[in-house]
Amino acid sequence: MKPVLDWIFERTGIDRVWEALMERHIPEAEGSVSWLYTLGSAAMFVFTVQAVTGALLAMNYVPSPDHAYDSVKFIGDKVILGGFIRGLHHWGASFMVVIVVLHFMRTYFMGAYKYPREGTWMVGIALLGVVIGFGFTGYLLPWDQKAYWATMVGTNIAGQTPFVGPIISKILKGGVDMGAATLTRFYAIHVLILPAIIGILIGAHLFLVVWHGISEPPQRAKPSDGQEKP
Amino acid sequence: MEHESPSGSGAEMTRRTFLTWVSGACAAAIGAVLSASGLAYFVSPAFRKDDEGWVDVGRLADLKAGAPLKLDYVERRKDAWATTEKRASVWLVKDGDKVTAFDPRCTHLGCPFRWDDAKKQFLCPCHAGVFAVDGKVVSGPPPRPLDRYSVKVEAGRLLVNSKPIRSEA
Ligand code: HEM
Ligand code: FES
Repeated sequence: MKPVLDWIFERTGIDRVWEALMERHIPEAEGSVSWLYTLGSAAMFVFTVQAVTGALLAMNYVPSPDHAYDSVKFIGDKVILGGFIRGLHHWGASFMVVIVVLHFMRTYFMGAYKYPREGTWMVGIALLGVVIGFGFTGYLLPWDQKAYWATMVGTNIAGQTPFVGPIISKILKGGVDMGAATLTRFYAIHVLILPAIIGILIGAHLFLVVWHGISEPPQRAKPSDGQEKP
Repeated sequence: MEHESPSGSGAEMTRRTFLTWVSGACAAAIGAVLSASGLAYFVSPAFRKDDEGWVDVGRLADLKAGAPLKLDYVERRKDAWATTEKRASVWLVKDGDKVTAFDPRCTHLGCPFRWDDAKKQFLCPCHAGVFAVDGKVVSGPPPRPLDRYSVKVEAGRLLVNSKPIRSEA
């Protein structure tokens, strides 16, 4: 085993990447405060679960008004552990928002957004938007009453925007009325566009986290990590 | 604080190695449950039972011995979440108590054959294949007897399962 690993390491440097990622120094934090630092990793974990269960659901889902509802029902009734996998994706979606908001609050209240981590923060804000986008587009997919009317409300809210509202609403719905084109549009956004965007954003976010190192718990009258803006 | 001690190999287990192992074991357990569920979902088609597919095609009373009858019916097939409808037909032959169902397609190249009441034989219009009332080839190019469908009688109704049972040459 060792010679094989050494061969790979020598040619790829993966061991050093691993060291840089997993064996980097992190600030010391006491007791319950240290748990707050796990929220980003928790978000990462739920995101992974969402990606895997989502891919599995897509194997049996049809984004068309005459099949969407039946195909979701099929997953629950006929696919082994289909209800469980769907349940994971369903609850994972809510957990994702909750955890990301908690993570957002921890980085806010601990001042982790301050110099030099403004970039991490801004990418984070974009991630928050994408997570909410996942929730909004995913909610329509089961095509049941709740899904339909929730999306009706959501797109109508967008339609209230002064001047551009009607245009935004039509673009969201893929037409004047909600229907087949809305479903395919939401589906494409949910499984193609947002995953591509979140992949890039998570990559940038984690790169910046490693690049700057994790910030210390804040201390009174001390700039973050003792670093003043130059 | 014990984290200064070298990560314990040998008999001495430090708090740090202990916690590393515990969280490693938890992660492994969570990972195992999640991936096993995902895998079961992925391979579930291998264990899915096919829809039985019995279709009611008509009344037993309409079927007279020695007079094969062609019945047309609409077949509703469950295809995963979708239900497809297809027009189909079947030849039914009664012999005493026994009912036989023939696939209406000739075993040569699939033309629909007909019953010739005078000759008491099935005749295929395409290449003059001829089958006896029991489905055996009498003459012509067909390579094997007529294919059959499973058929059963329930409460005076004829039920057919239109998955062809291939006959032996
Ligand atoms: C998909 C959603 C997100 C994922 C997967 C994610 C993941 C992570 C991870 C793994 C860390 C390092 C560990 C930690 O500090 O918790 C981190 C740090 C950070 N995140 Fe996020 N995050 C997400 C969303 C956000 C949001 C919405 C914000 C705020 C707008 C944000 C701001 C930050 C900041 C400022 C840091 C640096 C913390 C420090 O250095 O102490 N992230 N993120
Ligand atoms: S198809 Fe019937 S004889 Fe050729």
